[in-house]
Amino acid sequence: MKLLDKAFRLLGSKGARYGVPAALLLAMTALPFFLDDYALHVLWNAMFYALLALGLNVIVGYCGLCDLGYAAKFAIGAYTTGILMKSFGWNFWLTLPMSILVAVITAVIIGAPTLKLRSDYLAIVTLGFAEIVRITARNLPITGSASGLNAIARPSLFGLRLTKISHWYYVFLVLVVIFVFISNRLRHSRFGRALAYIREDEDAAQAMGVDTTRYKLYAYMIGAVLGGVTGSFFAVTMTSISPGSFDFTQSANILLAVILGGMGKIPGVIAGAAFFAIFPEIFRDVPIVGNMRMLFFGLLLIVVMITRPQGFWPERKRG
Amino acid sequence: MALMQITDLTMRFSGIVAVERLTFDIEEGSITSLIGPNGAGKTSAFNCMTGFYKASSGEILFDGKSLIGLKPYKITRLGIVRTFQNVRLFKNLTVLENVMSGAHSVTRQSVFGALLRTPAQRREERGIRENAEYLLDYVGILNKKDELAKNLSYGDQRRAEWARALAAKPRLLLLDEPAAGLNREEKDRLIELIHKFRADFGVTVFLIDHDMDLVMKVSEKVIVINFGTKIAEGTPAQVQSDPLVVEAYLGVSEEEGGAL
Repeated sequence: MKLLDKAFRLLGSKGARYGVPAALLLAMTALPFFLDDYALHVLWNAMFYALLALGLNVIVGYCGLCDLGYAAKFAIGAYTTGILMKSFGWNFWLTLPMSILVAVITAVIIGAPTLKLRSDYLAIVTLGFAEIVRITARNLPITGSASGLNAIARPSLFGLRLTKISHWYYVFLVLVVIFVFISNRLRHSRFGRALAYIREDEDAAQAMGVDTTRYKLYAYMIGAVLGGVTGSFFAVTMTSISPGSFDFTQSANILLAVILGGMGKIPGVIAGAAFFAIFPEIFRDVPIVGNMRMLFFGLLLIVVMITRPQGFWPERKRG
Repeated sequence: MALMQITDLTMRFSGIVAVERLTFDIEEGSITSLIGPNGAGKTSAFNCMTGFYKASSGEILFDGKSLIGLKPYKITRLGIVRTFQNVRLFKNLTVLENVMSGAHSVTRQSVFGALLRTPAQRREERGIRENAEYLLDYVGILNKKDELAKNLSYGDQRRAEWARALAAKPRLLLLDEPAAGLNREEKDRLIELIHKFRADFGVTVFLIDHDMDLVMKVSEKVIVINFGTKIAEGTPAQVQSDPLVVEAYLGVSEEEGGAL
């Protein structure tokens, strides 16, 4: 662990602060020229989880709230887009503002009564709400019941119809950049600090003049919007969505990605999500181990949590 | 008119009376103390004044405005800023970020300012940072600004908490047992510092403590409570010779000759 810390400290130096992300971005941009569709799909999946983890990170990592039903946020985005496109013939890009609006409204409905209480209650309410969303989606005709919505049209961007996995790879890469930008700007601001004060000590935050109920609601709304937008893009990438994609395992996976990488730390959260998406794939084809890969994955999670409960990404060093 | 007027303040917890009909004033520019033995109701009174408890009955006026029913953050925004008995810094944030939290109640940029990083937002951020650094220098721990708060010594944590409170530009500074955990030398320095806060920032200071020594040296007016009710009020000298106070503190009757 010492050596790892040293390597991370090197990465944390001033030049590396912009150099490493830039190099990484460049490499990610070049990759589709060298990889096959399967590998691209794995990377797309990693970016998809990264988006969800970044969204949940605002709620859990920045503000310290416990959300056990994040899958519901992206389900709502996915279904909003799916329904508007399938049943009302909307253009995909026009469904995005609606998806954001619906995310905000549901966040207020869930958050406003719950966030007045101590933060722990949110865990139970979000868990219950996620189940309500999933079961409702399974039973309503407009959401396609158990089979879900299929053959959702692929949208176009600047005249190009986005049909190939490489197209979606780039779309999600851009989304990751945007989400990182948002996360970073929020973190280094009066608003972001207020969330951190709430996470650290809610009473002391109140005593310093932070309207804790309102700020918790803002954090929850921003997390919901990021999740909703990700869900909308998920719907048109996959072209079909069903209640099975949004079960509790999904919520747990996203939460694990955030905790595994290190709550509140942007590179850590992305690394956690990438690890989560890529690790099982790497071991898929290894004999014997392949069948037990989830077991090893579980063991690894336990080891990481015991040795580094703050996540595997190191604390930032300043100065 | 006094800066804060407390009238018949009563705080009950399901039948148990913690504070009963407490009445006193805090004059603008004064250093006033509320003292009493452990369990006398000091902290309950303090929490009513800062909005952490909602008083059962009675009135608390600050600059003529009622504080009853206001949430803590609103009371802070009115210019009443508190510290905590056991120092409650934001442990995993840097000392600078801790002190910057004080500015929250006197600044306004929110989500959109943060995302767009407008000139107004950047100006405000610079102001928050510079003021925090100035205050850290003032309390003498500017060199520790980038350390995590949890890594500071206890004395330095206290200093960081004072800087944080001052960053909120208080009119009334409420100190909850500021001498707890300090040694004799540190206490003497604290007395100087409290006078300095008043001189340099024009704040009115109110503190609760059971440390007689500190309270008598620093205060101009002392209110003594026991079992939730006021038993004495006056200058330190007046209070010190009050037989009721002597009894409350030493638990002996006059005939046995208790002295302070």
